Amino acid sequence: MSLELDDLKSIWKGNKPFEAKPAEEIAAMLKGRSNSPIAKLKRSTWFELVLTMVFGVIMLFYSFTLPSGALKWSVVATLILFVVYCIYYFKKLKLLNRFDASHQNIRENLEKLVKDLNTYLSFYKTSYAVVFPAYFFLVLLFTAIERGADAFLHQLTQPETILRLSIASLVFIAIMVLVSKWYLKKLYGNHLEDLKELLKDIEDSSAQSKE
Amino acid sequence: MSEGEKPFIDLINQNQGLIHKVCMLYENDREARNDLFQEIVLQLWRSFPTFRGEAKITTWMYRIALNTAISGLRRRGRTIKTEDIVEKHFNFSDVSDDHQEENFQKLQWAIKQLTEIERAMIMMALDEIPYEEIAETIGITQNNVRVRMNRIREKLRKLMTP
Repeated sequence: MSLELDDLKSIWKGNKPFEAKPAEEIAAMLKGRSNSPIAKLKRSTWFELVLTMVFGVIMLFYSFTLPSGALKWSVVATLILFVVYCIYYFKKLKLLNRFDASHQNIRENLEKLVKDLNTYLSFYKTSYAVVFPAYFFLVLLFTAIERGADAFLHQLTQPETILRLSIASLVFIAIMVLVSKWYLKKLYGNHLEDLKELLKDIEDSSAQSKE
Repeated sequence: MSEGEKPFIDLINQNQGLIHKVCMLYENDREARNDLFQEIVLQLWRSFPTFRGEAKITTWMYRIALNTAISGLRRRGRTIKTEDIVEKHFNFSDVSDDHQEENFQKLQWAIKQLTEIERAMIMMALDEIPYEEIAETIGITQNNVRVRMNRIREKLRKLMTP
């Protein structure tokens, strides 16, 4: 049986009219909250920015109460890290505010979304792959400075210290990886893969037409 | 309703069918369709000040509605079982009122079995949107649209014939 586009069109036109939404309901919709990917990214970026700033202010005041030593330098190092994070969040918000789906076709829109989500994910992965272990060693370094290199090395070579440090670093890294994974899953789930599949579907169109 | 909102709401009222169709093909349950409808209206409202009439109003609406439906971070992979909406026997040559509705439901089900991109293409084609505009909306060439439409038609034929 052949099924021409015109046959499909005549079936398509045979649908019952949709129940029109009243003007008041549409007006109310305009005051609603968007759940678009970009709106969600903006909200999560704002949330992270505010959280970083709040913790930054708390740590700043806390650092004033500390005597000079390893802990104080660790807190100062964290504050510097927080400033870097804040600059990144501001930059991200600026980029997200430029996003406008109305000027882009579906392909460009998907490409932009995939790029943005990839940037986000690689940022977080870099965070816990590089920043947290680096910070852990920074704490050790400040402790060494405070106690003196000889005393610190002597302490560090004790089996009990090695065991404690190993357990502490394992627990620390495990918690950070689990928390980050949970957070990323909650934020993006498998959406990046879904978006890539959609993009692949569009790209397959070009490949099919060349066959 | 403010003075600024009125022209936009009038525009939505005139083209509600387009948004309803997008919602119908991309969501299965009533609640999800209502959520998508609201999201599309919101996205159209945000883009309305930048709409300068360079594109046709329906092209602009399709682009935003489809971008919202397709790239929205929603749960995917939900499909409706054939039995849920229509009997298995399909006769598109019968155009009586009863069969017209039945045929439409069957077509709707068949379109939902296609990929999200294919759904967008066939919906625009069924709404008499020229291939040139379909190509612009999706971001592919007109030749791609032609080839893809043939494959979509073939897929629908297989899905709709017993």
